[in-house]
Amino acid sequence: MPGQSEGPAEDTFPKLLRRNARIFAERTAMREKDLGIWQTWTWTDVLERVCALAAGFAELGVARGDRVAIIGDNRPRLYWSICAVQMLGAIPVPVYQEAVAPEMAFVLRHAEATVAVVENQEQVDKVLEILGAGAGIRHIVYDDARGLKDCRERGVVSLDSIENAGRAVLQRDDGRALWLEREIDRGGGGDISVILYTSGTTDRPKGVVLTNSGTIWAAHAAKLFDRLTEDEEVLAYLPMAWIGDHMFSYAQWLVIGYCVNCPESRDTVVENRREIGPTYVFAPPRVYENLLTLTMVRMQDASWLKRTMFAYFLGVARRCGEAILDGRPVALVDRLRYRLGSILVYGPLKGRYGLSRIRVGYTAGEAIGPEIFSFYRSLGLNLKQLYGQTEAAVYITNQPDGEIFPDTVGRPLPGIEVRIDETGEVHYRSPGIFREYFNNSEATAASKTTDGWVRSGDAGLIDQHGHLKIIDRFKDVGRLANGSLFPPKYIENKLKFFPNIKEAVAFGDGRDYVACFINIDLIAVGSWAERNGVVYGSYQELAADPRVYDMIKDHVAQVNRELAAEPRVAACQIRRFLVLPKELDADDGEVTRTSKVRRAFVCERYAPLIEALYDSGCRHRQIRIGVTFEDGRKGLLEGEVQIAEMPEGLAEGALREAAE
Amino acid sequence: MSNRLLAVERVSLAFGGVQVIRDVSFDILEGEIRAIIGPNGAGKTSMLNLISGLYHPQRGAIVLKGIRYDRLRPRVAATNGVARTFQNIALFKGMTTLDNIMSGRILKMHANFLCQLVHYGPARAEEIRHRQFVEKIIDFLEIQHIRKVVVGRLPYGLQKRVELGRALAAEPDLLLLDEPMAGMNLEEKEDMSRFILDLNAQFGTTIALIEHDMRVVMDLSSRIVVLDHGEKIADGTPEQVRANQAVIDSYLGVAR
Amino acid sequence: MDALADIFIDPFVQMAANPVFLVKVIWEGLVAGMLYALIALGFVLIYKASGVFNFAQGIMVVFSALTLVGLHERGLPAYAALIGALLVMLLLAIAVERLILRPLVNQPDITLLMATIGLTSLLIGLGEIVFGGEPKTMITRELGLPSGSIRLMIADRPLVLQKLDIAAGATALLLITALAVFFQRTRIGRALRAVADDHQAALSVGISLNQIWIIVWFTAGLVALVTGIMWSAKSDVSFALEIIALRALPVLILGGLTSIPGAIVGGLIIGVGEKLGEIYWGRLVGGAIDSWLAYFIALIFLLLRPQGLFGEKIIERV
Repeated sequence: MPGQSEGPAEDTFPKLLRRNARIFAERTAMREKDLGIWQTWTWTDVLERVCALAAGFAELGVARGDRVAIIGDNRPRLYWSICAVQMLGAIPVPVYQEAVAPEMAFVLRHAEATVAVVENQEQVDKVLEILGAGAGIRHIVYDDARGLKDCRERGVVSLDSIENAGRAVLQRDDGRALWLEREIDRGGGGDISVILYTSGTTDRPKGVVLTNSGTIWAAHAAKLFDRLTEDEEVLAYLPMAWIGDHMFSYAQWLVIGYCVNCPESRDTVVENRREIGPTYVFAPPRVYENLLTLTMVRMQDASWLKRTMFAYFLGVARRCGEAILDGRPVALVDRLRYRLGSILVYGPLKGRYGLSRIRVGYTAGEAIGPEIFSFYRSLGLNLKQLYGQTEAAVYITNQPDGEIFPDTVGRPLPGIEVRIDETGEVHYRSPGIFREYFNNSEATAASKTTDGWVRSGDAGLIDQHGHLKIIDRFKDVGRLANGSLFPPKYIENKLKFFPNIKEAVAFGDGRDYVACFINIDLIAVGSWAERNGVVYGSYQELAADPRVYDMIKDHVAQVNRELAAEPRVAACQIRRFLVLPKELDADDGEVTRTSKVRRAFVCERYAPLIEALYDSGCRHRQIRIGVTFEDGRKGLLEGEVQIAEMPEGLAEGALREAAE
Repeated sequence: MSNRLLAVERVSLAFGGVQVIRDVSFDILEGEIRAIIGPNGAGKTSMLNLISGLYHPQRGAIVLKGIRYDRLRPRVAATNGVARTFQNIALFKGMTTLDNIMSGRILKMHANFLCQLVHYGPARAEEIRHRQFVEKIIDFLEIQHIRKVVVGRLPYGLQKRVELGRALAAEPDLLLLDEPMAGMNLEEKEDMSRFILDLNAQFGTTIALIEHDMRVVMDLSSRIVVLDHGEKIADGTPEQVRANQAVIDSYLGVAR
Repeated sequence: MDALADIFIDPFVQMAANPVFLVKVIWEGLVAGMLYALIALGFVLIYKASGVFNFAQGIMVVFSALTLVGLHERGLPAYAALIGALLVMLLLAIAVERLILRPLVNQPDITLLMATIGLTSLLIGLGEIVFGGEPKTMITRELGLPSGSIRLMIADRPLVLQKLDIAAGATALLLITALAVFFQRTRIGRALRAVADDHQAALSVGISLNQIWIIVWFTAGLVALVTGIMWSAKSDVSFALEIIALRALPVLILGGLTSIPGAIVGGLIIGVGEKLGEIYWGRLVGGAIDSWLAYFIALIFLLLRPQGLFGEKIIERV
């Protein structure tokens, strides 16, 4: 490609693994914390394990072109299974492990998977349930044997037995080992490397087909862009079915050869991150928000001295931290103050969250709040935004070092072209883009133009620096009844930037004014309640507390002021809102597995509440909705939801101001 | 399967003038899950206290592993493989989860006092061995994330789990659980049921439990003894107990 | 204005004017503080393990020292007398466990407190009957404790340190370290921490409360003996020494009844604070400052840190 140095000579992931075992040999390739201790595997170990698994899968009948589902948390052997499957020329299909049975059934059936490699009993049960529904799974292979010792279901085998069988075959039969080598050689760059199902916010998931060459190209392009080396440490904790994790914990792991660390359990991520101290981090904004919320909550409980020190040095950081990070001139006094702050506050804080060694940190998937973004950057963390999609094997635009603007997502990587079409939609083209949507030529045709451009589905513009700015989902941008622009996501993000607000859904398309649903953040609001003596028995009770409403009202007023200051969206004043009595939940289908709101579904489910928001006489509304518990059982939630009204004066004043 | 691990023989217990338990006998077989149920004030917790040696009966005796004790001391019960949890959680609130569970192994530590003092040689090896065992319990109960958290700060459901962990650390032959699911939400109850069943199935631990949730009791236990006002009114399999008229009258009928 | 200057400026000017003297004052404060810490430690150990505020701790100091000297008077060599005194403290611990703690377990705190007051009278009586009531001299030399002083020249100014003080400081430090290692590392230490946290839970994991009580009371006796030797080396062994227990009270207020580090650091703070106050601020209030200054220091600290020195905010959840 133009402007790009050559990528690796190896054109498939199994070949890259073979290369790594050769050139990195005894370097650590992967770690996992188990029984309280970090276990490590070198590249040589990993190659041996993957080959054994591949031979085992071959014994099981996995053959070129077969689809193999991978379901579970980030366990080393699941990553190895991906590679083992690729060795045989079969296609791994990582599936969101939290998906409820019907969702999973759709993906497994659509991908026509014949084997499922799963983490534990929970997933085995789920897949068995689906088997009854007629998916074509022949074998279920599990990693963790707990609770499965007595499982006599047909076709359920342990990954241990697969691996041991494979190893035995390879040791017994040199011919078989040679055969496996040839299978690896047979793979080529044009082969499909993985199918990743996007968790569609609107319709059924689509299977994005990525090729070896495309994914390797993208991984390599990002390596050059951020000068990544084999010394990086990465923590694998995001869903394996997400392109972000697939790129950072798998594709770049093999292309760059750094070390990937798997946490002990989902609940120990923060602690494990502290122990490992990753240098290269990729996380959706939520992760950064949570850490910040946690810090603030902790600080509320800290001693007076600590609080004062914390507040003072955060002030210093806010004033000059980002300038120092970007290498801009800063007064000597401030430099000294900042240095002192590093010792007393920033250092310990970063250490606490395992962020002290970060060289490059990315946030992606959603817009990050400018305050949160600046907060981390002012502490001296090189946090950057990127704009990516599964269809692009992540990379479309990245913020280059030293060119960070909180409201843009950076510029295209070398080799990637970006254009805005006449309707305002962002299009892109690169060697990394996907081949097609699996078994869905209609969707492929709708998304890919004949000359190789991909429609992103996002509305955006390119600013004076050449940076891309994303406004909203293309099809979500609406108009108020008076014709002014209504970008819901833009408004929702402003609301979500308050730690107390976990999620927001804004309405206004074709309406007279903007109204919204608010989801409170249980950690932040819970801590606030504890401090202020607000007693509550449940999420629902807390959400309905008048004092919580007052607090949210302040936040909404603040957002209204900010909106009023921007001519393009000044008309979008939030007039009325309500606090939902339950958290929007993926199990209820209200948000996707990556925590994006399914707008249409929410509209339908809460139609009476929306109606109430636009019924000016209505002050509260009774609702009854079904909820799904974590174990999959259903329940019913009943209650009265208050509607809050924002003072007219401000909104009108702001409007007038904007009109002038 | 059918070895008698423990037998309660014609036991009576009174505090002052109040007769708490009156002439009750039953046994616990190796490998079974035995439930003790009954309305409030039936003497269930007192029964567990008798078995673990915290109370001593005025009449009758406890037979543990074939040996008859008129006055069973807590330490003797503990050294003979009886471990328990409490209705109101008796954890070391100021210690971490790890230290709490480690404390359950206190009877298993034998290294020489001086070696312990300098943290050397056999004592060190012993400490590592115990830690490994405790880590397996932590893994089993899925509480890795609270390993280093002071238990006083944990929510109720997790405290119950830590307490179970400490009881398990003693590698008990007989595990006594006093309302292991009280105050838990549905999800926590299911987790706890799963742990109890796994324990029984994988390690063959004999379990005696007091529980109010009838669904849980019927699902888990192999045999049930029913107490009412300190007297035994029924003893048998869940089916037998469910069909027993006395039980329905005094307990099931009223409570449900 | 003058009064303010007297309080807030002059003393510091004096300190700056003669830093070597200041060092000497602080040193003396540290030595005294170390002894306060030991006494407080005795209280803390017993309170932690058995929930009793041991009123008899002060008398245990006197009684142990008296036993030591008394045994020596009856012809035992000094070190044999030391071992004898330790044995007596062990017997005392066993007796207390058998006769007081075991029968009174689960009784209200006040009952136990009254019992330790009774123990106080008993020990006084016993001491007088066996060893007589008149003051005795501590057998410092026989025990090999050094006497005299060493002179250090710092920036041409002499700094005189008592060898006995150095020995006292070193012994106290050694004892505290040994106890810390003992409670951190050993099974008994772990058991003690368990008992201190929750009796019922400790019982259920098979810890014997009785055994722990004996160990703790004996440890408190050991600490009392060491304190007694050090303290009486400077004056005499007499029942008047009992009042040094009062010195521990402000330390306990400051450090908390349940914190071993609290007792140690609290003791040092009080010791140094008291000496500094007496020397530099004493004349402002006419001298009799040492009777209340310690409480004053404790009070000021508590205003700044209501949870005590090492107190943790315990978040109780239900």
